[in-house]
Amino acid sequence: MMNMDEQHLVGRIQAGDEWAFAEIVHIYKDRIVNYLYQVTGDYQKAADLSQETFLRVFFKANKYRPIAPFSSWIYAIASNLAKTELKKNRRANLVSFDDIQPGLEASTPSEESTDSGLIKNLRQALEALNPRYRIPVVLKDIEGYSQEEIAEIIQRPIGTVKARISRGRNILKKQLEKATKENLSFQKREILDGRY
Amino acid sequence: MDDISLLRKLDKVTAPPDFEQRVMTQLARRRAALPQARRAQAFRYSLAGAAAALLVCFLVLNVFVLRNGPGRVQMAGRDATEALKASDIVPITETVNYRNEVRDASSEPRTVYILEQVSNASNKYTRY
Repeated sequence: MMNMDEQHLVGRIQAGDEWAFAEIVHIYKDRIVNYLYQVTGDYQKAADLSQETFLRVFFKANKYRPIAPFSSWIYAIASNLAKTELKKNRRANLVSFDDIQPGLEASTPSEESTDSGLIKNLRQALEALNPRYRIPVVLKDIEGYSQEEIAEIIQRPIGTVKARISRGRNILKKQLEKATKENLSFQKREILDGRY
Repeated sequence: MDDISLLRKLDKVTAPPDFEQRVMTQLARRRAALPQARRAQAFRYSLAGAAAALLVCFLVLNVFVLRNGPGRVQMAGRDATEALKASDIVPITETVNYRNEVRDASSEPRTVYILEQVSNASNKYTRY
């Protein structure tokens, strides 16, 4: 849908039009649910937060100013909700990097990129990443937003966004390398023990 | 960065099938609850406003009326009279004839008064 149409829909939502709101939900529901799933790692929580995101869009529509794209605004609401939720459950859901256990299904990054073990490790590393870095990395590398757009979404200067993306990627890379090394030694032990 | 390019290959999810319906139901519920919530909020604000107005009235009265007003002066005078009554002081009033007191200073020599202390004790009951 074109940006102008979205602006028109937002204008109608500001007037309390539920049909326009339903249109916006229809357009963005999959993107927002997927984004929140990548950030939280929990599908049910992602669905609940998405629902809350859309309700806020409706009730806070008067606060939207068309200086930024509507998608940035809706992602900003979703990011803030995700951040609050992650903070709230920080202790309960904390996954340490040390908890990323090498498994037999894991493999080296040099193998095929669709390797499920590597993706599993990547998912675990992403969930262990601090939300400060996780949100910009997800927005950049999964959602495909530019650094300028991410700066608008998370309401931070562009320099901060660049630094956080870079640092987040480095942390992920180190954790993947660590998990791979541990996995190789694990496999070696398995062979020496005669299990293969 | 090859590892990070894998991020795009992470499994993607879509919204649950009844997601839109759930959102619209929740929206209707919240819209219905909105006037009640607004009334409660207005009541809270009015209560806070009334309390603030009372506090301001109290402060203004205390600072400008009760402390420096005429009532306060009257209270001070009454307090002093009561204090005098409570003590054992006997007030003595002497009349003075100024005709005898006023003399021509040029015709007579200057009067010299010699004051001598007779006793250390003083009569506390006599006040001039």
